[in-house]
Amino acid sequence: MKVSYYPGCSLEETARPYDVSAQKVCQRLEIELEEVPEWCCCGSSPALKMDRLLSTSLSARNLAQIEKQQLDQVVIPCPFCFRRLLSAQTELGADASLKARVEDVIDSGVRGQLNIQSLLGFLRYQVGLDAIRARVTRPLNHLRVLPYYGCYLVKPAGVTRFDDPENPVSLDELLKALGAEVLDWDFKTECCGAGLALSKTETVVGLTGRLVREAVRRGADALVVACQLCQSNLDLRQDEIGRAEGRAYALPIVYFTQMMGLAFGMPAAELGLNRHLVDPLPMLKEKGLLS
Amino acid sequence: MHRLKGTPDERRFLTEVIRRSGQNLLECLQCGRCTASCPISSPTVGGPRRLIAQIHCDMRAEALRDPTWWYCVSCGTCASRCPVEINMYQVATTLCEMAEEAGIEPSEPAIHLFEDLFLRSVRRHGRVRELSTVMRYNLQTRRPFKDAGKGLRLMLKGAISPLGMMGGGRKDPVVERIFTRSATVEQGETDHEG
Repeated sequence: MKVSYYPGCSLEETARPYDVSAQKVCQRLEIELEEVPEWCCCGSSPALKMDRLLSTSLSARNLAQIEKQQLDQVVIPCPFCFRRLLSAQTELGADASLKARVEDVIDSGVRGQLNIQSLLGFLRYQVGLDAIRARVTRPLNHLRVLPYYGCYLVKPAGVTRFDDPENPVSLDELLKALGAEVLDWDFKTECCGAGLALSKTETVVGLTGRLVREAVRRGADALVVACQLCQSNLDLRQDEIGRAEGRAYALPIVYFTQMMGLAFGMPAAELGLNRHLVDPLPMLKEKGLLS
Repeated sequence: MHRLKGTPDERRFLTEVIRRSGQNLLECLQCGRCTASCPISSPTVGGPRRLIAQIHCDMRAEALRDPTWWYCVSCGTCASRCPVEINMYQVATTLCEMAEEAGIEPSEPAIHLFEDLFLRSVRRHGRVRELSTVMRYNLQTRRPFKDAGKGLRLMLKGAISPLGMMGGGRKDPVVERIFTRSATVEQGETDHEG
């Protein structure tokens, strides 16, 4: 199977472990990822906030580039890019005058018929649990994980049309297929503070603090995420979270693709598991999951 | 059918926000589910319900300076839980654009600075250069060593490259052109409306 792959900016720079593990896992599942030629930033939340025409145009430029690949399906690991490109395609389809203005701005037509999938949705529903289970050589037995979906994959439901905005299950099911012990909690889609990481760090510390404390209280060995913004906010702020209550947190925050790779028997270093601020390796070693 | 008391003049701001955002704020019940769900509403950040009430009441100056839409991270929780499906991040975009057109200083300069630096990086390189954007932000806010310890630890793990913090890098004239064209098209429309 061959699909178009739109990595997004973070996966090139601060979230390389997500990119690397996604590529390795897809390779193992015999899925060929063809990177979008000359893709650009989707504008992320700054463009969405400050300039609607610019935001939609940047996404439309990417849609046009993907359409050139003639693969009809694009897979996107970053939940924000996923939602933005999907939403832009819907907006262009619903508003002919916006479409005309955007096509004028990007100097290109957009057909708007692409099948746009998040990487999680693609692996869970299209590749499917049976194909994933078939590749598991090292089941994640005794690993107690909490799935954390974040916002952009599932909210607003009318925009992403993926899973349930309050109680999604796709990641739970995928992790169970890997053999992990999946815990339940109420914070699956609570916000981590997203793009306020730098400008309102104290807000992010407050929001991620609730998540980390609850995960620890539930006895999780790790939080499993599908978003690089969630990963970095949760991974980077545990010092500050602990400082306020005079304790030290060290809860590993890992990508679901890293857990897939681990269950497929791949070495941790090949999956970038050695590159997180909170080191998951001692915990994984204790669980007997490192070869 | 919605009926709102008030002269056309009193309704001008409300009508414009509805038209530009595509969100029918007249449907709002003021039930408060949005603000109760909103991750960024706080004693100092009023949240969506109050912001909509300001728009209803023609409190243009207050609404365009409200911190809520600056803080909004477009998580979509309010939109998911709203009984009449109002999408507040679309309203945030509209208010941000209107505030800028009116020459109103950003009420949350730190958030504005980060978002502006982010878009400058995209404009120049076609893709945001995250680490150099972080460096620029820390320098401009005069906290050059904010999170420096974490940065160093990540660098030692090979998670980030010191080269990423430098300026420069490849340029993307196609994206630069999208920024220019988009501003030109918008300017033309504002002139036409004005």
